[in-house]
Amino acid sequence: MTDQHEVGPGADVSSPTSWSIHLNNVSVTYPNGTTALRNVSLDIPAGEMVSIVGLSGSGKSTLIRVMNGLVPVTTGTVAVGPHEVTHLRGRQLRQLRGHIGMIFQGFNLAERTSVFRNVMVGRFADTPTYRTLLGVSSERDRDLVFAGLDSVGMLDKVWTRASDLSGGQKQRVAIARALAQGPSVMLADEPVASLDPPTAHSVMNDLRHINGERGLTVLVNLHLIDLAQQYTTRMIGLRAGEIVFDGPAAEATESNFEHIYGRPIKSNDKLAN
Amino acid sequence: MTDTAPTVWELPPKPTNRARIALIIGAIVTFTTLTCLPAIGGVELDFASLVDNWRNGARLGREFLQPDLSFLPRTYRPMLETLQMAVVGAGVAAVLSVPLTLWAARQTNPRLATRQPVRFTINVVRAVPDLVYATVLVAVIGVGPLPGLITLILFDIGIVVKLVSEAIDAGEHPYMEAGMAAGGTQAQVNRGVVLAQSWPFFTNQWLYVLELNVRISAILGVVGAGGIGRLISERRAFFAYDDVGAIVLEILVVVIVIELFSNLVRRRLT
Amino acid sequence: MIVDEKAAPLGVSIPTPPSRLGQTAAAVVVGAVLLASAADLDIDWGEVWSIPGQIQRYGQLMFTDPDWERLPRALFETWRSISMAWLGAILCVVLSIPLGMLAAHGVGPTWLRLTLRAVFAVIRAVPEVIIALLLLTVTGFTPLTGMLALGIAGIGTQAKWVYEAVESIDDGAPEAVVAAGGAIAELARWALWPAVAPALTSFALYRFEINIRTSAVLGLIGAGGIGSMLTNYTNFRQWNTVGMLLVVVITATMIIDAISGRIRRRILEGAKQ
Repeated sequence: MTDQHEVGPGADVSSPTSWSIHLNNVSVTYPNGTTALRNVSLDIPAGEMVSIVGLSGSGKSTLIRVMNGLVPVTTGTVAVGPHEVTHLRGRQLRQLRGHIGMIFQGFNLAERTSVFRNVMVGRFADTPTYRTLLGVSSERDRDLVFAGLDSVGMLDKVWTRASDLSGGQKQRVAIARALAQGPSVMLADEPVASLDPPTAHSVMNDLRHINGERGLTVLVNLHLIDLAQQYTTRMIGLRAGEIVFDGPAAEATESNFEHIYGRPIKSNDKLAN
Repeated sequence: MTDTAPTVWELPPKPTNRARIALIIGAIVTFTTLTCLPAIGGVELDFASLVDNWRNGARLGREFLQPDLSFLPRTYRPMLETLQMAVVGAGVAAVLSVPLTLWAARQTNPRLATRQPVRFTINVVRAVPDLVYATVLVAVIGVGPLPGLITLILFDIGIVVKLVSEAIDAGEHPYMEAGMAAGGTQAQVNRGVVLAQSWPFFTNQWLYVLELNVRISAILGVVGAGGIGRLISERRAFFAYDDVGAIVLEILVVVIVIELFSNLVRRRLT
Repeated sequence: MIVDEKAAPLGVSIPTPPSRLGQTAAAVVVGAVLLASAADLDIDWGEVWSIPGQIQRYGQLMFTDPDWERLPRALFETWRSISMAWLGAILCVVLSIPLGMLAAHGVGPTWLRLTLRAVFAVIRAVPEVIIALLLLTVTGFTPLTGMLALGIAGIGTQAKWVYEAVESIDDGAPEAVVAAGGAIAELARWALWPAVAPALTSFALYRFEINIRTSAVLGLIGAGGIGSMLTNYTNFRQWNTVGMLLVVVITATMIIDAISGRIRRRILEGAKQ
């Protein structure tokens, strides 16, 4: 039922350069008047695994999205690797995004189509538009898709319809999509909020593995304290758009968390009980 | 029951929209009256002559209900032409409708400058009745199935683009954010994932316009644009209502068959 | 994107893609039918390329100097068409509401329901113009008979919408009326009508919008109104008048669509409260 498939050279993406991230006095105010970030400055060296913790509405979503330009900054600068995000437009912005992989709370897969085509989305930045329009993918693109799926253990599901997968499997496919880009940075916006505890641990493990094995810089938005402490080395606490904590995740105390959340810790702030 | 005084209830004030209802009814009545004044172009309600004509009609009606089935062989060629026009029209419209729809929907085309002209043009195209297209095109191109085909294509594109673009805009497409975050262009995201997700909307409307096309192309011939319409017109002018009855019966059968076929395909696709 | 060009091959088994035979066969059949139909049509496909040029030429003849002198007469005839459409819609609605209600589940006896639905289906299947043509021949080619034709031809679809709307309301109110001993008329007035009134009003307006287009078409085949003016001047090849008439038709239709659409939206919004 399976083919022996010799994947050619260029299919290994285990050694792209990892990038650092620098935010300098970044503020973001949305057109409707809400200020999501206030004067945020941040330095993340290449290869670090960082969690961003805070209540919903603290600015976590905005913070992670200014890094690949999905949300434009109002003032300040953002630098990812050698690129100044804030000045990039059009083709250059897309090329930058090709180097940044992103996964989402809702998985953001196209449910009606196959896992293969979903992961192929990760190859968009590297493919000329006309090829995508014609629906032809190169041998190399296919190899990268298979390699990405294999590294998250989803290769056997490559032709399955995305809607037939469980939540954890969908998030893995999303990770494969990000890996197929050959990224230098990995962003994860609440990747496990929709998953049950064992699956959540499993996905967080995958992210930690990606950080360890490939040395990628990984940023994860989380609202669960224990996951932040268990899987990341550095933790940044956001409250009302400002950084109120920045330090080693393992050393954060309960009072640190209360300061970040602005309220006492509740039981649903932790995954395990 | 004793003979007591009627009970007086203390009721809360009854909420009425009296004024508003009166206004609406007034507007409707005025409008309707205006439509009945022949002097400004209204309809003359001369029911007397109508009743007279109905007696005539009874005879023709009886003939109509006893169709002359021996006439059918003469209808096969024109009926085939009708079907061919319907099928080719739907096919061409289907192909053209894909890029136009993606251009017209806000979620797949965030650029207002390219979206507005497409939407406006589609609205204009939809404002012209099918037979008006056919009449003008026959005068321009000449009698035959070509003006009918073009009419059908225009009509179909108007429907598909409007309905599918509205369906796309009414839905949520969270997977588009992933495509943009991965560095794709809008066109790549549209072709790579949105099209696959919107495919059911398209196929649904394509089947719908195929069904519509059969009914429309049956009458385009009345103005010379091909199909069985010309035959209907001709037989009617000779008052050969039994022949007309046969043709109408044939159209009925074909329409029902197409509808069944369309439902079958719809079920297979979902 | 930096990828190691001389990486080792993947060397794993990739599952066989599912068979696309069914899809391909269907596509081939559809393509074949389309091509065969196109070939058999009595069209000189070589001439098709000259069509855009011709259309452009006639477009110029029509629209560069429209005949505004005949505008008053055009507006007169437009009102005639609108009147036909309006009165025809009233007639259609007045006939289809009781008939449609009778054809709904749980209202009348089964034999009546099935008979009515069959009649509606037949009227729906026969193209409106044919129904109109037959009626007009009998009753004369006047706007009055145009109105009659519009009223009758629309019953098929209109009554279907009525019984679909009736069937979609909750069973509570109708059940209560029947339990209290109500007959069909009372059922209609007290349970069905209030629930479906907004939807039916909306459908009535929509019927008016459809009728505007059909009345122009009836004019083309001789019932009077703007359509008959269009036929005349097209036959006389007076293109500048035809251009003016097209502008009038398009503008009037778009305006009525917009107004009617807005009213319909307000009705449905009011109903949701």
